[in-house]
Amino acid sequence: MLDYSRKDLISDIRAWYTTAFSGNWVVPAFVAVWVVLVILPLVVMVVHSFFEMKNYQVVYDPSFKTWDTLIETGRWTAVTRTLRIVFTVTLIELLVAFPFALWLAKVCQSKATKAVIITLLTIPFFLDPSSRTIIWRAILGNTGIINTVLLELGIISEPIEWMLFSEFAVHFGMLTPYFPTMVFPIFLVVNLIDDDFLEASRDLGASPVHTLWYIILPLALPGIVAGIVFTLVPLMAAWVEPDMLGGGFVNMLGPSVEAAIRNLKYPMAAALSVVVILMLAFLLVMLIVVMRKQGSMGNIFHAMKR
Amino acid sequence: MSQSRDLVSPSRRDVLKGAAATAAVTVAASSALVGSGQSVKAASNVVRGYGVTTSQLKDWSIMEKAIGIKMEFTGTNADIGTFMRDVISNDLGETHDIFIFDGGTEDILGPQGYYSEVIEDHPELSLWARTSDDWKRTDLQQDGSGKQFGVPVIGNADSFGYFPASIGANPNGLDDISWSKMYEDEETKGRVAMDRSWLLSSPEVANYLKHHGRAKIEDVANMTGEEARVVADFAAERKRAGQFRTLHAAFEEQVQLLSTHEIDIINCWEPATKEANNILGPNTVMYAFTVEGYYKWGHGAYVHSKALKRDNVDNIYKVLNYYLSGEYRAYQATQRGYAGPNMDLGVKYAEDNGWPEAQVEELKWTEKKVGKKFEKPFFGKPAAPNADVMEEEWQRFLNA
Repeated sequence: MLDYSRKDLISDIRAWYTTAFSGNWVVPAFVAVWVVLVILPLVVMVVHSFFEMKNYQVVYDPSFKTWDTLIETGRWTAVTRTLRIVFTVTLIELLVAFPFALWLAKVCQSKATKAVIITLLTIPFFLDPSSRTIIWRAILGNTGIINTVLLELGIISEPIEWMLFSEFAVHFGMLTPYFPTMVFPIFLVVNLIDDDFLEASRDLGASPVHTLWYIILPLALPGIVAGIVFTLVPLMAAWVEPDMLGGGFVNMLGPSVEAAIRNLKYPMAAALSVVVILMLAFLLVMLIVVMRKQGSMGNIFHAMKR
Repeated sequence: MSQSRDLVSPSRRDVLKGAAATAAVTVAASSALVGSGQSVKAASNVVRGYGVTTSQLKDWSIMEKAIGIKMEFTGTNADIGTFMRDVISNDLGETHDIFIFDGGTEDILGPQGYYSEVIEDHPELSLWARTSDDWKRTDLQQDGSGKQFGVPVIGNADSFGYFPASIGANPNGLDDISWSKMYEDEETKGRVAMDRSWLLSSPEVANYLKHHGRAKIEDVANMTGEEARVVADFAAERKRAGQFRTLHAAFEEQVQLLSTHEIDIINCWEPATKEANNILGPNTVMYAFTVEGYYKWGHGAYVHSKALKRDNVDNIYKVLNYYLSGEYRAYQATQRGYAGPNMDLGVKYAEDNGWPEAQVEELKWTEKKVGKKFEKPFFGKPAAPNADVMEEEWQRFLNA
């Protein structure tokens, strides 16, 4: 009786769903909402980038002055610097996170250990970004813990200055908070890979490297792509680490946009944001191209389910 | 003036008020019917202020005891962009009476009708006449046409903090130190922190170059694009040479950099050296008397034009007068180390109220200190007409 009722219910819902969404209004409604909520603000932003500020007020006289200024004042270099740092950090995260996620999903057998590690990985999400970053100053600075210990031990005679207020410090500061965003998607996907695939590969004489390359990596690709997206996109807008650990020497897009807004330079903030969006769009297209070569995401998940 | 006030365009809040008017009419009608409507609202003893946090007394109840007015103050930092946004776009004049900020904003907000002119003969502003013109008749309180929008509150001549032992200076801190220690000294190379803000650092570098005849600059606080470019180029060259350890951006950073001795010298606010000495011990860090000059700033109290239409104008002017009084001066100088108008009244207040001799002497020293600083060139114009180009050129230094 219970099963019969549930089937009925599911059938009713399916019928209602089909009826409700089979009309001609669905696509236009979606497009309308999308245009209002996403496209329109983007258009406003692009248009705004062609105005300029004078005496803290927007001058609604379209020109390329803001874009000219963006290039002339060197703000453009923040774009290239951001790309370089974001790609480097994402690559490091991937190289560390993938073997870690593989170990956590397939090698670590203790459920308790897994639970503890997963809990530990969530800690960065609970900490205020400024609080968790500022602490590195007390560790990496000239008078910080590391330099003090090394000096006391006689290993160095002068403090190591490049540990703080440098690109190294910014890279370092970004690694911890963005590690979980890379690990979790990969762990979830690797965890779904059926162990029978791995055993079959071994039975057929494949070496561990062959199994990793031809079985695990292709099946883990959705997780890797998700990890890259979840790590790379927020990194593009990161401002806490460059601000607090870069010491003003590592000007990235996030702080540039923030500084422009703080100085009421809305057209400049708009122009910089347009650059960010164009870069993200380009990266997204690249990812789609890469994924096409591997077939659709759905097929990969289907393969994992067998 | 009334015409300029009309220039204030309808804000989002005004639009919302219009939309709410219908509901208000209904409520008012209901009140009238039950006889509970108040035709004249009683004058409030609350004055609402918005502005730079350090202009506050640490305990406003002192003022309430003295003049019977309660201050409700919303603090902000010294970020002019944030301040302008809150006054112009967020229309804080609707809820706040007095705005305290760096002098210079009146050049923009005065003519546009946000600030009202000071009513100099207002009966509650009794200390106005005895306040020195050096404090009140300056371009920090008047707009370009000489209209008086601000009442001076606090001010200082900013320079840099330093560790005397680290830069080979006299430990009593009384020597004039050259800004070359900040920019070009081999001894301090890599041990200097400079403020990221164009507003502070750009004119300071410009004044250094101008003083030593290395750049022709008409007004270091209001540079043309070409002049600002020379300054940015010099700063960028020094940055590449490794002169600066870091470029700081906040008061808390100034205190941290000094208290950890991460740097030897830093252009900063004077209270930062005071806070650092609280941690490191008295006179460990000195605030410099300089060879070349100082960045001048002065906070003014500005009454929003909308506040004049409310019913507490007398109370607002009582508070303005309090800013000129000895009590405010004595507490402000003791708590923050800042000077201000009528410093003599501050000393008298401390003496009359039996303050310890050390505190009285500190107040006298604050007065002398500012006098000594103002003997040198000083500069500063937060809302300079050329602010846009100065900021843009400074970006080249930041991105170098």
